[in-house]
Amino acid sequence: MLPRLPGVVARVLSCLLRGLEGHLVEIQVDISSGPVGFALVGLASGSVREAKERVRSAIHNSGLPFPSQRKLTVNLAPAELRKDGAGLDLAIGVGISLAALGLPSPRSTAFLGELALDGAVRHVDGVLVAARGLIRHGVGALFVPEADAAEAALAGGLRVYPCPSLSIAMAHLTGDTLLDPYSGRAPAPAAADASPEHDLAEVQGQDSARRALEVAASGGHNLLMYGPPGAGKTMLARTLPGLLPPLELQEALELAQVRSVLGDLTAGRPLEWVRPFRAPHHSVSLAGLIGGGSGLATPGEISRAHHGVLFLDELAEFRAATLQALRQPMEQGHIVITRRSGSVVYPARFQLVAATNPCPCGWEGDSQRSCRCTPASVEAYQRTLSGPLLDRIDLQVVVARTPMDVLGREAVGESSAAVRARVVAARQLQIDRQSTLNAGLRAPQLRRWAPLDATALSALRRWAGQRGLSARGFHRAWRVARTIADLDTGGPVREHHVMEALGYRLVERAA
Amino acid sequence: MAIVGARRPTPYGEAVAERLATDLAHAGVAVVSGLAVGVDAAAHEGALIGEGCTIAVLGTGVDVIYPAANTDLAARIVAGGGALVSQFPDGTGPKRDHFPRRNWTMAALADLVVVVEAAEGSGALITAEAGLAQGKAVMAVPGSVFSPLSVGCHQLLRDGAGLVQNARDVLGELNGLTAVLDDPLTPPDRLAVEGEAPRGRDGLLRHLSDAYPVEPGDLARRLGLAFPDVVARLTRLELEGKARRMGAGYLRVRGRGMT
Repeated sequence: MLPRLPGVVARVLSCLLRGLEGHLVEIQVDISSGPVGFALVGLASGSVREAKERVRSAIHNSGLPFPSQRKLTVNLAPAELRKDGAGLDLAIGVGISLAALGLPSPRSTAFLGELALDGAVRHVDGVLVAARGLIRHGVGALFVPEADAAEAALAGGLRVYPCPSLSIAMAHLTGDTLLDPYSGRAPAPAAADASPEHDLAEVQGQDSARRALEVAASGGHNLLMYGPPGAGKTMLARTLPGLLPPLELQEALELAQVRSVLGDLTAGRPLEWVRPFRAPHHSVSLAGLIGGGSGLATPGEISRAHHGVLFLDELAEFRAATLQALRQPMEQGHIVITRRSGSVVYPARFQLVAATNPCPCGWEGDSQRSCRCTPASVEAYQRTLSGPLLDRIDLQVVVARTPMDVLGREAVGESSAAVRARVVAARQLQIDRQSTLNAGLRAPQLRRWAPLDATALSALRRWAGQRGLSARGFHRAWRVARTIADLDTGGPVREHHVMEALGYRLVERAA
Repeated sequence: MAIVGARRPTPYGEAVAERLATDLAHAGVAVVSGLAVGVDAAAHEGALIGEGCTIAVLGTGVDVIYPAANTDLAARIVAGGGALVSQFPDGTGPKRDHFPRRNWTMAALADLVVVVEAAEGSGALITAEAGLAQGKAVMAVPGSVFSPLSVGCHQLLRDGAGLVQNARDVLGELNGLTAVLDDPLTPPDRLAVEGEAPRGRDGLLRHLSDAYPVEPGDLARRLGLAFPDVVARLTRLELEGKARRMGAGYLRVRGRGMT
């Protein structure tokens, strides 16, 4: 029970988003004698100040009383939180109407939605995130736009009222016509055997890439494909989501929150079970890739790819600063974006698949066409690929074009479903053993969970010595060998697992 | 047409002979050779892959297969609609002076002689000379300037033999057309279906060439091995300095166990 303060006639709850956090906002409405006017206070930005006009029209057109002959003050608390967006409209409208009618404010009930001038309640972004925030603040009931009810219900534990208009909300609050709470069914996970959009069975040949995709999917490893245009790198990358198990409920919810903030959820079917595949063009801005933008930072491509695949085609064409910015999220699984108005954290646990041509013209090393680049330009091009980002890509394979006279002769490969069965088994093994996929293993964990027998260790050491392998490179091969062993027997890592793992890396260049 | 060459060719020579024979057989040309090991065997094999007719001209009686290693190949030649022919009576064993006579016959049966890898003074050059003496066209496949097996072919080319880069060059010559330069040839490994599994640790090495990279997927298919196993074996060869990566494939490193 909210205490009644003298003078304050209505107090209504709503919610504002900061990244993936919902902050409780209280709308206090005071109608008093004094100079006639409508004041909206409480660090409101432009879009919220405009609410005055929308709300006034919506109330009039809903046949509700508006205190136009009195002094009306609406305060948005807490004052230090900057208010933006139109999501507070409904709460302000309800607050003014309650105050004008002299009705008591509803307890632990919040309102979300933008008002149209005729009083209809319109969709707002981020309802799922808001609903989860409100639950934490002890709110038990939530009025949302009709289209967003399924999304709000995902949060669980809230009575969700799909609310088409301000007058219907008021009819419920006055007890005239009660609304029914949303009663949609709990989201059901996808059938595990759903056939993917891009099936590996459509890929001819490309044995190295196929195998690398299977290993990458099994261990969560990042993957680089290196080869000329037309070799099928993009097509191969697109098969990866279909090789991965569907999202778990918790993962689907995390992703839905990101998409909720972006207003990117399908109405009525807010949860997706297929892992996301995001392929930003190389001209993408830093903000577009990692998140940001003016004002409040919005999630970028890396967060849209959360629990899925981020595909960067033509890796060498991306700006160096853009690629640099990937390092923090790749290490930590989330991104912190700091703006004047505060920091936000977005999840960004993605699997990176990158593709690149070997040189500016693309044909260096091709079996049929000759490269027209100068040796210096090839070297410069390949240098942009080296360094810290490449260090974080466990699997690196060359993808060659299939010559015309070979096309059609090669046997049809395995389907994605067949590969996925092995992938799922290998992933389960890793989770049971070490609670993380192999890609997340650091050196001490590798020693514990992936001990090498004497032959395997000496082979890896000999290779490292001969090729001047860095410590990172050493651990990369070790991790991949662990995954190959998990796909094989699940038992100890043997010499042939290490040898195969070393086969999936580009020729080391002199530093 | 006849394809002749070294009995101990480089993997390059073997690959060219096989690929040329495949394409020519495919185009309906009968491939004549001598059923020796090396280039001869590769030419017969290639013709069989191309599902064409191939004729083995023997230096022994038709009932004596020499070398015995090619017994199976001889049977497949006959089964494939080809022929074993000989100018020597049944039961004749291998005799040193019979082979040059056999070479003369080979040239006589063909309209054109293609030489793939021949050292100076080798039997393949005798066949080429026989062809010239009989007024047949002679062509040669160029090779590495570092290889002794290229010397004979390069001599022929210097003396005016036609240059062979691919089957189209040969067909152009046969049909009196001007040959057109074309894309580089796809090595036969990419087209092969299956073969024998390699023996021992270095077994794969015999299937690598020093002239063009062979992709692990093609090796796996050809040898009937699992792909991951082939990658592991190739890395082991790399570690031992016997093979190296080039593009998507692997090259044999020259200077070790080379023939």
